[in-house]
Amino acid sequence: MDDLPLHKIAISGPTLASMIQRFASSPGTVDGLLFGHVTHITPSNLSDDSSPSDSSTHVVATITGFLCSGTTHSFYDSCGLVEPLSLRRLVGDLENQHSLIGWFSGRRKTNLRPSLREFSVTASLACNTHLSFPVRNALSPTNLAPCVFLLIASPSQDQTIHTHEYRAYQFRTSMDSFEPKSIDIVNIGPAFRGHYGSFSPNSPFPILPCELGTSPMSEDQNDDCLGRMKQVSKDQSDLDMCAEGFDVGILNRLMGSEAVNYTAGLENLYSKMLIKLESLSRLVEKSSAKVLEQFSCVN
Amino acid sequence: MSAESVPPLISAQLNYLINHFPLLVKIEQMWSGNKYNPGILDRFTLVIPYCLDFLRWDIIYDSELPLSAPDVIFGAEDEAFHSFVLRGGEERGNVRSAKNCLSDWNSKDPTRLMVLVQQLRDLYMSYQRRRVGEVDDDRLKFEISTIVFREGIEMHMSSGFDKPEEVKFAVPLLDLNLNKMVPGCPWRHQQKIYLQVVYPVGRKYVSAPSAPRLKLGSTSELKTLFSIEDVKLPPWLDGMCMAEYLPHLEESLEKQVLEAVSLIDVRRRFIEALAFSFGRPVEADPVFCRRATFLAASGAFTFLVHFFISTQFPKQQPVLMLQSSQHNNSQGAPIKSPHVTEYPWSPRWEPSRMAERIFEFLVEEALNFKRQCNEAQLQH
Repeated sequence: MDDLPLHKIAISGPTLASMIQRFASSPGTVDGLLFGHVTHITPSNLSDDSSPSDSSTHVVATITGFLCSGTTHSFYDSCGLVEPLSLRRLVGDLENQHSLIGWFSGRRKTNLRPSLREFSVTASLACNTHLSFPVRNALSPTNLAPCVFLLIASPSQDQTIHTHEYRAYQFRTSMDSFEPKSIDIVNIGPAFRGHYGSFSPNSPFPILPCELGTSPMSEDQNDDCLGRMKQVSKDQSDLDMCAEGFDVGILNRLMGSEAVNYTAGLENLYSKMLIKLESLSRLVEKSSAKVLEQFSCVN
Repeated sequence: MSAESVPPLISAQLNYLINHFPLLVKIEQMWSGNKYNPGILDRFTLVIPYCLDFLRWDIIYDSELPLSAPDVIFGAEDEAFHSFVLRGGEERGNVRSAKNCLSDWNSKDPTRLMVLVQQLRDLYMSYQRRRVGEVDDDRLKFEISTIVFREGIEMHMSSGFDKPEEVKFAVPLLDLNLNKMVPGCPWRHQQKIYLQVVYPVGRKYVSAPSAPRLKLGSTSELKTLFSIEDVKLPPWLDGMCMAEYLPHLEESLEKQVLEAVSLIDVRRRFIEALAFSFGRPVEADPVFCRRATFLAASGAFTFLVHFFISTQFPKQQPVLMLQSSQHNNSQGAPIKSPHVTEYPWSPRWEPSRMAERIFEFLVEEALNFKRQCNEAQLQH
C-alpha cells in the first residue's frame, strides 16, 4: 500500500466546532469517524523564483464530515483492534458518499498525547486495506488507508478557563509511528477567501431529522401524532412565509462558484427580515407601554 | 460537590498494585475526568521506578464505563514505545500477554492493573535495551556485550533537543538477598544496591574515552541499615570497562554490607548495656537497633532520654536528646533539648563503659536541662 505523507489536514471551522461541541456535551470519553477526501494539490507558484522546489505538490486531507459515536470503544476492542462488524454498522451507508479517512478521540482532562489504545486503533485502521480510498488528482493512481487521527482533550490542570486542545496526526504504516500534522482551519470571511478558491465542499447539507417521537406501532397515540404533524406543517408554513420562497435547499448554492449570485439575494432577504423584526419590536414596545399605562391607572 | 473518592473496582486494583508490585510504586496525582461528578477520581499518574529514575505514566480509567479496561499515556519522550508494545516487543510471547491482558480485561479481578503495569514495564525494559543497542558507539557496544547477561540490569537512552545523548545503566550489585540478612526484616520490597553508569554518546573524535559518570544508588529503605553515601567508589582507571570495574566494587561493597549487618548486634549490645543503668527502655527499635528511649529521673524531675544511633556506631557516638515529662512549651508540646553530641566517648570502650559514662554525664546534664525547662516555662 502507498504511504503518502500528508502536507496538512484541512477542516472547516464549523465541522471542528461541532466536533468539539459533541465532545464537550458528552459525559465522558467519545470517539468517532472522520470522513472526507485526500487531494493532490499543485499550488500555483506566483513567484518567479526558478529554483526547483520538491514541495511543488501537496497532499492535503480534508475533513468534510464526522460521525460521533457518543461513547467509546465504538468500533474497536479494549486492546485497540478494529472490529470490522461494528465499524460497518457505525459507518452504515455513509461510506457510499464519503471516504473514511480516519477517526478521532476526545477525552477530558488528559495530556494531549496519543494513548496506547489510540495508537493501536489507528494502526489497526491503517492496516485495513479494504478501507483504502483513491487519492484525488493524483499523478498516478494512488490509494491511501484511513490514517488520520484527531485528538481532542481538555487540559488536566486548568480548572478556571474552559479550553479544548486538539492535535492531528497521520499514521505512517511504513514507519509504524504517528507524525504530527498541522491543522488548517478553513473559515468563511475575507481573510479566508483565498482558501475557498481551492476548497471544494462536497458534503450535502445534513439531513435535519424531524423526530415525531412516536413509533408507528403504537395505535393509541395516533391522534396525538396527527396533531403534532399538523403543528409541524403549520410551523413550516409560518417559516416559509418569513423566508418568502427561500427554502433550505437553496442554501447549498451558497457554496461553490455560483455563490456570488446568491449572496445578494440572501442579503436582501435578511434585510427584509430585519425590517420585519424591527416593526415587531416597535409594536411590542407600544403595547407594553399601553399595558403599563393601564396598570398605573388601576393603581 | 461530593467528597472525592475512587470507584470501588478501580480502587481495589490500585491498592493491589501499590501493595503487591515488587518495586515501590507511587501515585503522584489523582483527578477526575467526569463531567458531572468531579469527585469521582478515575485518572492517575503512576510513578514507577526505572533505571534509578522514574517513569510517569497516566492511567486513564473511565468512570462512565468502570468495567472497561484502562488506557495508558506514556511519557512525552517515549512516543516510539507505542509501536514496540503493539508489535509485542522483541519476543513474541511477551507481546501477547500485554495485549491479552487488555483484551480480556476483567474489572473484578484486582490483580489486573498490576499485571498490566508489570508487563508494560518489562516491555519498556526491552524497548530501552533495543534503543541502547542501536547506538553507534564502539565502546558502548563492547560494554553491553560484556554485561548484558547480568540479571536485572536496566538501560536507558536519554536524548532531547537540548540535552546531549547519554546512555544510562543501572547495574544491580551483589548477588545477596539483603532482606534475608537482617533477622526479623520488616522490608516489604526487595532491597538492592545499584551502580549508575552514564556514558556520553557519539564523541567519536575523542581519542581517549573519558570515565563514565558513576553514582551508587539504593532502594530507599536500605538506609536504615547501610548508607551508600558513606561508600567511597574506587577510581575508574583509563581504558577500564565495566566488567573490570564491577568485581572490585562488589568485593568491597560486600565487606561493607556484611559489616553493617554485624553492627546491628553491636548496637543491640549497647542498648542492652544502657538498660543496666537506665532500666528497661520505654521504646526501642528491635530490628535495626537505631533508636531507643529510656525514662530517667533526677530527684523529682522525670524526663525521657532518646538515643539516635547511626549506622556508623560505634565510630560515631549516639546523638542524645532529652525530653521533659513535666514541662510544656506554649504550643502544649513537651520541651526537648537540642541534640547532644558533646560528651565523653571512645569507640574502643566496652558497651558497659559507654553506658556508665553517658549515665554519669546525664546526672549533670539533667540539672542543666531542668533549669532550661523552668526558664522556658517562666517566659510564657
